Amino acid sequence: MINLLKHTYLLDLSAIKGDIERLWKRYQKIIGDKKSSWEDLNEARATLYFLGHLYPEHLALESLERRIKFVKPKITLDKFFLIIDKNDVKNLKKYSKNEKFNKLKEFYLIVKSIKNRVKNGVYLDEERFNNVYSKLEPKNYF
Amino acid sequence: MSNIITGKATVIKSNKDYYKIKKETILIADHTHPDIVIVMDKIKCIITELDNKLCHAAIVSREYKKPLLMGVQNATKKFKTGDKIMVDFKNKLIKKIK
Repeated sequence: MINLLKHTYLLDLSAIKGDIERLWKRYQKIIGDKKSSWEDLNEARATLYFLGHLYPEHLALESLERRIKFVKPKITLDKFFLIIDKNDVKNLKKYSKNEKFNKLKEFYLIVKSIKNRVKNGVYLDEERFNNVYSKLEPKNYF
Repeated sequence: MSNIITGKATVIKSNKDYYKIKKETILIADHTHPDIVIVMDKIKCIITELDNKLCHAAIVSREYKKPLLMGVQNATKKFKTGDKIMVDFKNKLIKKIK
């Protein structure tokens, strides 16, 4: 998670992608392994919260908010999201050779790929996580 | 896009609630889930309690070109499924209508 944050500061896109996939694979391994301990399950819980909420909705968003100001011609973050999500061909063409825009666009698509990820028909495989987690939860846990 | 949308509300409490949507509706949720995509053609607009530009509802509403009003506190408690409501996007207001 620290690496992912570091690479987000650096906006190293391939490293960000790699870090996200490593976290996802580790999360999948923990919830799929019958030998996983209560401690492992809490690592998975932290990963789920980080990948599903903290990273996309706070850290990545703040990174985009800060960096969008450097794109010229000027563009608001709302418009940036709309251009990409609505596949606004006219505006995508306008920024097609803009290095900063394209880098932020790629970053946003990486973030969206984890934010929108579904496994076993459920967002971030949450149902499987909840089942395994509740089975291992100690009676005196508070 | 019109600033005012009226229609019947569907309050989402769990993933299963999306599958109950059969007619055009105004969707109200704390936050949305990926299952929403199966009924996007029936959704007139989305109202959420959560307010974040990168939350699921924000992404999906942009992708499907659906109006979205975020940050409506206690929306899932103030309204219930079947309520006829009016959503005023300009003034960020939701009212029950008769």
